Amino acid sequence: MDALASLAHGFSIALTPTNLLFVFIGVTLGQLIGALPGIGPSAGMALLLPITFGLDPVTALVMLSGIMYGGMYGGTLTSVLVNVPGEAASVMTAVDGNQLARQGRAGQALAASAIGSFLAGIGAVTALVFLTPALSAFALSFSAPEYFLLALLGITATASLGTGSAIKAMIGATLGLMIALVGTDPIQGTSRLTFGSLDLLEGIDFLPVAIGVFGIAEILVSMEQTQAGHVVRTRLKDMWLTRKDWLECRMAMLRGGVIGFFIGLMPGAGPTVAALLAYVVEKKASPHPEKFGHGALDGVAAAESANNSAAHGAMIPMLALGIPGSASTAVLLAALVLLGIRPGPMLLTEQADLVWGLIASMFIGNVMLLIMNLPLAPLFASILRIPYAYLVPGILIVSLVGAYAISLSLFNVGLTLFFGMVGYLMIRADIPRAPLVLAVVLAPLMESSLRQSLMLSEGSPGIFVQRPLSAVLALLVILSLALPLFNFLLARRAARRAGVAEALSHSSD
Amino acid sequence: MKATNFIAAFMLLGLSVMVLSGTWYLPYWADFAPGSAFAPFWVAMIGVVLAVSLFVATLFDDSGEPHSFPDRRGIVRVTALMAGLWLMVLLIPLIGFVTAGILFSLYLLIGIERRPLAPSLLTTAVVTGLVYGVFIAWLGISLPAGPFGI
Repeated sequence: MDALASLAHGFSIALTPTNLLFVFIGVTLGQLIGALPGIGPSAGMALLLPITFGLDPVTALVMLSGIMYGGMYGGTLTSVLVNVPGEAASVMTAVDGNQLARQGRAGQALAASAIGSFLAGIGAVTALVFLTPALSAFALSFSAPEYFLLALLGITATASLGTGSAIKAMIGATLGLMIALVGTDPIQGTSRLTFGSLDLLEGIDFLPVAIGVFGIAEILVSMEQTQAGHVVRTRLKDMWLTRKDWLECRMAMLRGGVIGFFIGLMPGAGPTVAALLAYVVEKKASPHPEKFGHGALDGVAAAESANNSAAHGAMIPMLALGIPGSASTAVLLAALVLLGIRPGPMLLTEQADLVWGLIASMFIGNVMLLIMNLPLAPLFASILRIPYAYLVPGILIVSLVGAYAISLSLFNVGLTLFFGMVGYLMIRADIPRAPLVLAVVLAPLMESSLRQSLMLSEGSPGIFVQRPLSAVLALLVILSLALPLFNFLLARRAARRAGVAEALSHSSD
Repeated sequence: MKATNFIAAFMLLGLSVMVLSGTWYLPYWADFAPGSAFAPFWVAMIGVVLAVSLFVATLFDDSGEPHSFPDRRGIVRVTALMAGLWLMVLLIPLIGFVTAGILFSLYLLIGIERRPLAPSLLTTAVVTGLVYGVFIAWLGISLPAGPFGI
């Protein structure tokens, strides 16, 4: 009941005219950013973070989180109508959504996505209402070893649960840790890796890294070729589900929502993994798996429900523990720090207005997004017809002005461009960028809690397994490191068996 | 992809050596607690292990996956954009942020994208108005000004 009373208080904060306006601005920007190919919600949040500097923290956060989950809805438009995922989590939607559009069922694909995203989003925020206070209260018993292991798990899980090479994901995280080492040692105050530069004494700010690695890098990739996509036209009267469509999709939405929520809770997995997993599970559960890849409405509904649910689920570890589970929540956490708020388990008691106002704003934002994506979807689809080239100068100049605004220094602008080049090379070398950003955010907490733990134990690493909770976390870290190795061995065994089977079939010929 | 992976492994190895050598003079262990070089040492060690792992994994990889870098035209476009951005940053102290932004926007739209003049001028005007309205008028951020006072 406490949670419901707090939520009611949150609604009184979120429903003030200013906050309502910024929820609307946030979700609209998110919808647009999600729809634009080449720039995802994390990039959009990083690019727009500087414009929140003059705002009240609650207003700033409701806008930024609106961009985060608005991006999940917006990504569908480009996936279905242009066959280009607006953001990574819409990859599976592009597979079946565009096939449906080619069959003249774009409206149904968009409607199934919007309704699925809405129901899964509302379900995930409801779970967030009850789980965040419980986890936050539990986390009050954490001390330095648990914090170190939790932050470490956030990084190692990114490698094991991600979609690409585990080694490359760990390389991304290591680069992030190296960036975070630059500056003044947080405990002893000596300068490290500054190479005599006074500008580097205070370390490298998070924003130039995030704007560069996400924003500038994605623009550089989009510049490789002239953008030209065929946009499928849709009519307003198509934007609804028939009874048959609803019966086909309802269980897919439920399964996708549940899978997405639990994946979102896990550090490092995020909406992309959630959408992939929900799609695969749905294909197995579907009565017509042969339709998958050729226009399965339930496949679209499952993937879209999962990615929105995961985006909301990832808020729980961020709000309750101060540990971001995804790149978007890492940007949100950095926003908290920039606004002068200390994240962690005390956030819920020290900043109750902020947390509950933010949670309540998500209910409101999801309703706004449902309206934007059902009757107003054709309007947003028409924005896709603006040539992308005309948007690039605005995105780049706003990014650089934003980087300048952090510390009124041109050095940060140069750093942003440098990290833009780093991000571009990472994309081309297939090294994921989310672990780098997560590591930059988590590194200060990791280093200080590691050193505090070893100080307490006089150098004995046994402190990390002394308490049951830390022992469980240590085990999870080891498992997350062993999982990619286990998968590699399984894949090799499967390949060897396939090779033997092929050899046998050839010999029988 | 093999060549890209080898380059990535060598770059990571180089960075790890740089972290190690850049913090070599700092204490690994102070009187009763880890010193300033403790974290850099372990991060560099992880970097070395990952660089070697990537090198070995690539050496035994026979998938023949092609690299994902763009063709010559793509590389020229990306390089031209990056050069324009760096030039803009170098020009900011001389001509101001807003003026440098206007020149960059026109260079990008007309020079690189080969877009028609009128929509390019309109886009530049909208972007300039957005930067002025949000950052200068609303947030009160004082951007470096040039000889024209903007």
